Amino acid sequence: MPLPRFHDFPARRELMAILVKRNLLIRYKGSALGVLWSLLTPLAMISIYAVFAGVLGLRRELLGLGGATFDYLPFLVTGVVVWQFTSGSLGDSLPVIVGNANLVKKVAFPRALLPASTVLANGVNFLLTLAILVVYLLCTGALRPAAFGWIFAGAALQLVLAFGIAFLVSTANVFFRDTEHIVSLALLAWFFLSPVMYETKLQTAALARFLPEKAMSLLYLNPATGILACYRRGLMGMDLVPPGIPPAALWLSALSAALLLAAGIWVLHAGERRFGDIL
Amino acid sequence: MNTLPAIEVDHVTKRFVLAAHARSLKTALLDTLRRKPQPTLTALDDISFAVARGETLGLIGANGAGKSTLLSIIAGTLTPTAGRVVTRGTLSSLLELGAGFHPDLTGRENVFLYGAIMGIPRETMARRYGEIVEFAGLEGFMDQPVRHYSSGMYVRLGFAVAVQVDPDILLIDEVLAVGDSDFQAKCLEKMAEFRRAGKSMLIISHDMNAIRRTSDRIAYLDHGRLKAIGDPMATAARYRAASEGGARKEWGSGEARLAKVRFVDEAGNDLVDPPRDEDGRYRAGSRLRVRIDYAAERPLPPSVVGFSIHASDGQMAFGSNTDVESHPLPAVHPGGSLLLEVDISTLHAGKYLMSFSLHSRDPVVNYHRLENHLAFQCGGKVFDGFVSLPCRFEDAGR
Repeated sequence: MPLPRFHDFPARRELMAILVKRNLLIRYKGSALGVLWSLLTPLAMISIYAVFAGVLGLRRELLGLGGATFDYLPFLVTGVVVWQFTSGSLGDSLPVIVGNANLVKKVAFPRALLPASTVLANGVNFLLTLAILVVYLLCTGALRPAAFGWIFAGAALQLVLAFGIAFLVSTANVFFRDTEHIVSLALLAWFFLSPVMYETKLQTAALARFLPEKAMSLLYLNPATGILACYRRGLMGMDLVPPGIPPAALWLSALSAALLLAAGIWVLHAGERRFGDIL
Repeated sequence: MNTLPAIEVDHVTKRFVLAAHARSLKTALLDTLRRKPQPTLTALDDISFAVARGETLGLIGANGAGKSTLLSIIAGTLTPTAGRVVTRGTLSSLLELGAGFHPDLTGRENVFLYGAIMGIPRETMARRYGEIVEFAGLEGFMDQPVRHYSSGMYVRLGFAVAVQVDPDILLIDEVLAVGDSDFQAKCLEKMAEFRRAGKSMLIISHDMNAIRRTSDRIAYLDHGRLKAIGDPMATAARYRAASEGGARKEWGSGEARLAKVRFVDEAGNDLVDPPRDEDGRYRAGSRLRVRIDYAAERPLPPSVVGFSIHASDGQMAFGSNTDVESHPLPAVHPGGSLLLEVDISTLHAGKYLMSFSLHSRDPVVNYHRLENHLAFQCGGKVFDGFVSLPCRFEDAGR
């Protein structure tokens, strides 16, 4: 019997639902507060950022931009919440095939379901966090949902990206033990290369000496740049792109996310034939 | 449609790249650059056969003959290097009972998880749920995490779920060796029911009597080749004849090795020849002393060293291991040495072969097995039965 592949995906919706549920159940199984952690974690995180950013007096001026025309903290918290979905999906999906070795070795089912379910489980958690974020933004008066439709664009991009990297890293981890170390370093670098803690403007300012203005759109080849822009537009009414960059640059983020997904599908598809031999 | 076989295995060959464990990126790059040829092991060599609808095929052969590899390929968890496998109908495999159960989930949650993995709609599983619980005999335990189950409970639930999936084709790998005799009887009954219902089964077993009774035909695998397929009695007899040679063999996953196993004398010096006294026999009352050196390249989970003594007719006289003898093996990494002392005063007179193995405690991975590694002759007394019990007579008056 050949291994069921991607085209079986719709038929396996039920398994997907159960795997997602299993992911969520196991995450907090045995802890006293259970599912409450899904709410407590983001709440605590936002509080920690709020306190420390307040104590340190982190402001826009500190980041070299001058002219404090907006509140930095909601900007930062939004960025971190959105980033956590990407990094969480990446971290959870990395060991998911190796960790389910006995299942993979004994039962034939579409392997893609394993990383996909960790992404969706992270998605469910992210929705809860997002709700808390909205409440927080409302309280701080930073919520400007005039163009809230962009949230959906951000979510779509984010899912495509998360599936892509989940397929890539979970497969790579089967074949190379180093994947874990490389991924954690790459994730750290990616975090600082993405406008989570700072505005894209800061990047363009820093790069102005080396790059012609026309080339600045290339910053959006980092899908995280586009994703963060969409969410901040939808939630806080911020500009999608800094001055000088055409809004069409967002398509570059969509393009690179789609390419990553295609690469992920291809790698998983090519690799899954040998999972049984290696695990 | 109904005349087509349920399982067709068509010129299937499977080669494993030895040590195809996950490599570090550095090793992988270097190997590729040096074009280092990867040593391979041919686990299955051009196997072809078919299992008809409603037929039960038994699969026999020594350990390492490729039986489980073949079953995994049919189940779809391994991909053949060459050839192809066609299966017609839904398939459920009992390759390992309870595989895929998550220890933190309850029995109930695991039942539905397994159903979903096998592609059974939730409503169907819900309908069969009561029957599963009853078959497994686990009423009252279903809302407990399966980590609290005993291994027997775990296996019972695994079997109950796997058969309730109600497949057209059932693959069974030596699972009947587990569980108590009541449960084994239940399993055999269930398998008979499957046969009556016209389902196809492929069974691996080392129990020649059981497999002869349950199979319509038997296939005999030897070192990855299909040696014979056909009449159960004839094929099983052929296997038995071939396996009684008592040839020295070794196999294992290679993560740890029994580096050197030899007889030693009282002073601990290695003996080149099997120990014997003047007339070439070990006296009753003597002790065998065996020194076992083991080594592993990297740390491994708790492991066990076991040994067995087989008479020349293949009957096992005795077997035990470090766990049974309450001498837990210290870490096998990087290596160590054990001294085994066996009192063979209760053995029949005759020729014996000793086998040794180094395996993990749970789940059992055979790191290294030395089959029929050491031979010795025993000059004990001749008696009836299979065990010599210490006994004596004395006169008690006239």
